[in-house]
Amino acid sequence: MAKKFWPKGVMPALVTPFDPKFEVDEEALRRLVDWVIERGVSAVVPCGTTGEFVNMRIEERRRVYDVVIDHVNGRVPVIAGTGDASTQVAVELTKYAEDAGADAALVVTPFYMGLTDKEVYEHYEKIASSVELPILMYNIPQVTGVWIPWWVAEGLGKEISNIVGIKDSSGSMPYMMTLIEKLYGVISIICGYDEIAMAALASGADGLILASANVIPDVWVEIYDAVKNRRDLDHARELHRKYQTLLRFIARFGGPLAVKRALWMMGLDVGYVRRPLMVGGAYPYEVEDEMRRRLEGYGLIPRMPVEFELEPGRVYRCDYPATSYTHPRIRDFTLRVGEAFTSPSMADVAHVDLMLGRKDGPVGKAFEDALKNPRPGHEPRVVELDGREVKPRTLLIPTVTIRTERHAKLVYGPAMAGVARAVVEAVEGGLIPRELVDELVMIVHVFVHPTACNPTRIMLNNYKAVNHALKKALEDRPTLGELMERKESARHPFRYEP
Amino acid sequence: MAAFKPEGIFPALITPFKKGREVDEEALRRLVNWVIERGVHGVVPCGTTGEFVYMKEEERKRVVETVVDEVNGRVSVIAGTGASATNMAVRLTRHAEDAGADAVLVVTPYYLRPADKGAYQHFYEVAKSTDLPIILYNIPQCTGGFLAREVVEDLAELENVVALKDSSGHLPYTLELLDMVGDRISILCGHDEVVMPALVAGASGAILASANVIPDVWIEVYEAVKRGDLARARELQMRVQKLARIIVRHGGAVAVKAALNMMGLKVGKARRPLVSGGVLSWEIREEMRLELEKLGKLKAEEEAPESKKFLEELGLSPSELRCLSLEIGEASAGVGEEEVHVRAVVGPKDGPVGYAWAKAFSQLEPGHEALLALLEPNLMARPPTLIIPTVEIRNMRQASMVYGPVQAAVGRAVQDAVEVGWVPMEAMETHVALVEVTVKPEALDRRALYFNAYEATREALRRALRRG
Repeated sequence: MAKKFWPKGVMPALVTPFDPKFEVDEEALRRLVDWVIERGVSAVVPCGTTGEFVNMRIEERRRVYDVVIDHVNGRVPVIAGTGDASTQVAVELTKYAEDAGADAALVVTPFYMGLTDKEVYEHYEKIASSVELPILMYNIPQVTGVWIPWWVAEGLGKEISNIVGIKDSSGSMPYMMTLIEKLYGVISIICGYDEIAMAALASGADGLILASANVIPDVWVEIYDAVKNRRDLDHARELHRKYQTLLRFIARFGGPLAVKRALWMMGLDVGYVRRPLMVGGAYPYEVEDEMRRRLEGYGLIPRMPVEFELEPGRVYRCDYPATSYTHPRIRDFTLRVGEAFTSPSMADVAHVDLMLGRKDGPVGKAFEDALKNPRPGHEPRVVELDGREVKPRTLLIPTVTIRTERHAKLVYGPAMAGVARAVVEAVEGGLIPRELVDELVMIVHVFVHPTACNPTRIMLNNYKAVNHALKKALEDRPTLGELMERKESARHPFRYEP
Repeated sequence: MAAFKPEGIFPALITPFKKGREVDEEALRRLVNWVIERGVHGVVPCGTTGEFVYMKEEERKRVVETVVDEVNGRVSVIAGTGASATNMAVRLTRHAEDAGADAVLVVTPYYLRPADKGAYQHFYEVAKSTDLPIILYNIPQCTGGFLAREVVEDLAELENVVALKDSSGHLPYTLELLDMVGDRISILCGHDEVVMPALVAGASGAILASANVIPDVWIEVYEAVKRGDLARARELQMRVQKLARIIVRHGGAVAVKAALNMMGLKVGKARRPLVSGGVLSWEIREEMRLELEKLGKLKAEEEAPESKKFLEELGLSPSELRCLSLEIGEASAGVGEEEVHVRAVVGPKDGPVGYAWAKAFSQLEPGHEALLALLEPNLMARPPTLIIPTVEIRNMRQASMVYGPVQAAVGRAVQDAVEVGWVPMEAMETHVALVEVTVKPEALDRRALYFNAYEATREALRRALRRG
C-alpha cells in the first residue's frame, strides 16, 4: 500500500515561545520557524512534547498550527502535534489540523491512565479514520507511561492507509530495531531520541523529529546527509560524538527548558517555559552552567568585546563569550565572588567558592597573609600547572579539614589540576584580558569530600566548577532578579532530615 | 514434624567479620546471646543482613552450625539457605536440617531471574529435599523482582512451606498475600519501616535488620499489637522510624554493624564491595548515632566544644566600625537546643569589612570553617555573605547541621533583607556581609534550626543596618 506522505529528514520539534506573561509569543514563534528553515530542515513539528502541548489550551494549540502553517507558507511540510489523553480531543485537533492545511499529524499515545493494547490500537484507528490527513504514531513511554507494543504498531501501519509513520522517542535501541525489522519500507520510522539518533539513522530509520534540532538544525542536516546520501558514517559519528553532551542535556534535563535556555544563550530569544517547569528543577542550575560552557566550546555563544575597567582610565578588552547576563563593561575589581557546584557522584562533587580581585586590594592582601599564616588542615597552595604558577596567581584553600594523606593527595592533586586548567583556559578563552593577569589574583575554596574516590571526576568537577564560578563572579550572578525569582523554591539538600 | 509457625521478632543476624574479614565466631556467639537476652523469639543467620551473598558455601554452613550450637535450643533458629542456583539452595537446606536448624529462609532466585515457572520449581525442589519448614522470601529491591502472588498460592499448597517473609515494604502486596494465602501460611514482615502496620494487618511477626540493634523496641511493638494497644505500638514505631529508615535505606548490614560497634558490641566491618562512607555515608552514620542517643542506647558526648568570637579578631572593633557608621547587629531566636545566636555586619568591600571578609575566607580556622551563605548549591546569596560558626564543629553531623539548615537560612535571610530594602540594591555589588553564628552542638531538629537561624539573622541584619 503506497503511503501518500513519507516523512523523512530532519524535523525540529518546535518549542512554543511564551512571553513573560506565559502567553504564546507569535512573533518569536515565527522567528524560530525561519531560523530552522534557513538551516535546512525538511519539516517542522509544532505542538509536540517539546512544544509543551500538554500545558496548552486547545484553542492555543489550534492558533499555533495556524501561525506555523501561515509562516512556513509551503516552504516545508508542517506536521502538527495533535495528540491528547482523550481520543475525542485528539480527533478534534487532528480534524482541525487537516482543515488548517497541515501536511500530517503527530499523535502521541494517550497518557496518564494506564492502557492495554486494545485501547491504544483503537485510539489510533479512530483518529485515522476520522481524517484523510497522514498520521504518525508517537511512542514516548517515559512521559506517557504507555508503550505502543511493536505488534500494535505493525498492525496499524499495515492496515490503515493514512498511518504513514511512527516516531519512537523511547531511546530504546532494541525497540527501534524491532520497528525496523517489522515495518521498514512499510511506514516511515522516525527517531525521536536525540542521544541515539545517528545510530537509528544508520540502522534504517527514515528521519528525525528532535528537540535538539531547534538548537543545532544544521548539524543534524549534515549528519543526516552523511548517513543517508554520502554514506560517510565516520563523519556522521564524529559529528554526533562532538555534540553528544548537548544531546544528553536536552534529552534528559527537561526538553523544552534546555532548548529554550540554549537558544536564549545563543541569542535567539524564544521566551519562557510554562509552569510547572522551571529552571533549577528538571533542568538544574548546574546543567545550565555546563550547557553554556559546552555551547561556548561549539562556538555557538556569540563573542562580544567586554571592557574590564580596572580603575578609571585603565580599561582592557577581551573577546568574551557573552550572554544577556554579561555587562559590556565590568567595573570594580575590589572583591568579586562566585560559587558553583558540580557533580556527578555524591562522593566526588566539587563545590567551589572563589574570590577574584586586585593585587592591591583585600583579595591581594588576603592572598599574601594566607600564605604567611597557613592554617592546619587548610594549608593554602599556589596553583600550578606542570610546575609553573598559573596566571592570574591563584591560591587553593581546602575547605574540608585534611586529616589523611589520601585526602591531601586528592585535594592537591586532581582537584588542583582542575582549578589550574580552568584558570589557564579562562585567559585563553577570553574570560580575562591578558593584560590583567598580573594585576588580579584569585582565591579558590575547594571542597573534596573525605570519602571521595574518583580522581578523574574530582579533576573534571573542579575544572567545571571554577569555570562556572568565575563567570558568575565576573557577571555578578546570581542577579537580583534571579535571586528574587528563585529564593522561594530553593531547596538546600542538607536542610532536611535523612 | 509438627507444624512450625514463626511468630514474634527475629533479628536477621549480621555476620561479624574479623579484621582480615574471616568470620568472627566469638563475636557471632556474643551477638546471639545479646539478642536472646533481650527477648527475641528466634534468630536468622545468613539472611540478606548476614551478607550471605558475599559468603562461601562452607562459611555459611559453619555460621549456621555455630548459631545452632550457641542458641542451644533457647529459641528457634531459621537458617538463611537461599542461593541463585537451585542445587546450592538444596545443599544448604539439607545441611541446615542436619545441623539442627528449626526452619529455613529461602530467598527468590536472583541475577539470572527465572520466570514464574522457574521460581516455583526452585522452591518446590528445595521443599521436596527436606522435612524442614520453609519460609519463602520476597525482597525485590535485591533480587530484581517480586515473587508472583500466584506462585506463592501454589507453593502454599506444599506441606512444609509455612511462611513468607516480605521485605518489599509494599503493603498492597503484603495484604494481597494475607488475602489469598493468609489462611494457609504465615506472613512475616521484613521491612523495618512498616513493621507496626504489617503486624496490625495480620503479619505473624517480623525478621528485621534493626532487631540486631533494638530487639527490645520491636518486641514491645509486637506485644502491644497483640494486646490491641495500637496507640502504644504506633508511638514506638514512630520513635524508631528514622533509625529504621536509615538502616533499611543506607546499607542494611553496614548500618547495623556501625550501630552495634558504636554501642560497644564489636562486630567488625562488612565485606567488600561494601565500604565505609559508601551506602552509609559518614554524615548519615553520625545521624544514626544521634538516633541511638535519643533512644538511650548510647551516651551523648559530655564535654562541650569551645566557642570563639571572630568579628573582633578579624579587625572589626565596635569603635572602628562606629567611625565608619557601621555596626554589628546582634540577635537570638528560639529556645533550648535549637537556639541560634547571630552577630552580623555589612560593609563596603573596600573598607575594613571587605578586608575582614577576605581574611576570613582565606584563613580557615579548623572547626570554625567559614562558608558562603547559599540558598542552595549554585544559588549564593548576594551581597556575598560569609558565615563563621563560633562553636567548634567536631563531627560530620554537627557540620551537616551548620552547613545545611543554617547555611540555607542565612542565605534566605540576606535575600529577604534585600527584598524589603534594608540592604540597598546597589549594595548587592559594592558590599559584603559577615555573619557569626552560634549553634549549640546538641541541636537536633533541622527544621527548628532553620527557622531560628533565619529569624536571628534577619533581626541581626536589621539592627546592623539600623532599619525598621
